[in-house]
Amino acid sequence: MQAFQADLSRFERLNAQVLGVSPDDVETHRKFSASLGLRFPLVTDKGGAIQKRYAPGRITYLVDKNGVIRFVQEGMPKNADFLRELEKLK
Amino acid sequence: MLKTLILSAAALLITASAPLAAAPKAGDPAPLFEAPSTTGTVRLADLRGKKHVVLAFYYADFTSG
Repeated sequence: MQAFQADLSRFERLNAQVLGVSPDDVETHRKFSASLGLRFPLVTDKGGAIQKRYAPGRITYLVDKNGVIRFVQEGMPKNADFLRELEKLK
Repeated sequence: MLKTLILSAAALLITASAPLAAAPKAGDPAPLFEAPSTTGTVRLADLRGKKHVVLAFYYADFTSG
């Protein structure tokens, strides 16, 4: 999540909202967020209910503003790839 | 009776494997969700028409992943 924070202004300039999602509760998210100085939301996926509707594991989706998935990356997300895909949506 | 059981078992198996088979990919609509977050309730639908979304699933807070 630190990596997203480091490039957050670039994501914001490309009109993207970054959302981190894990099963941790909001209180734990708040502590984690504060410890890293995150300025984007961390979402609580209780019991993994949201992720069940996507795909398991460490995976990141780019959803365009029309609600369509445009790019999917497994493993640690690479900001450069997401920024490149966002440029295509301009 | 046996036939019914077998059919039921088959139906269960199909149901159980459905989420994997249905994993959305590029070009598919993103499944909508509403959940609490550090900045209040997040609804994917609220961002429709406004912002693109980078939706990053990770295992747990306070881990490198």
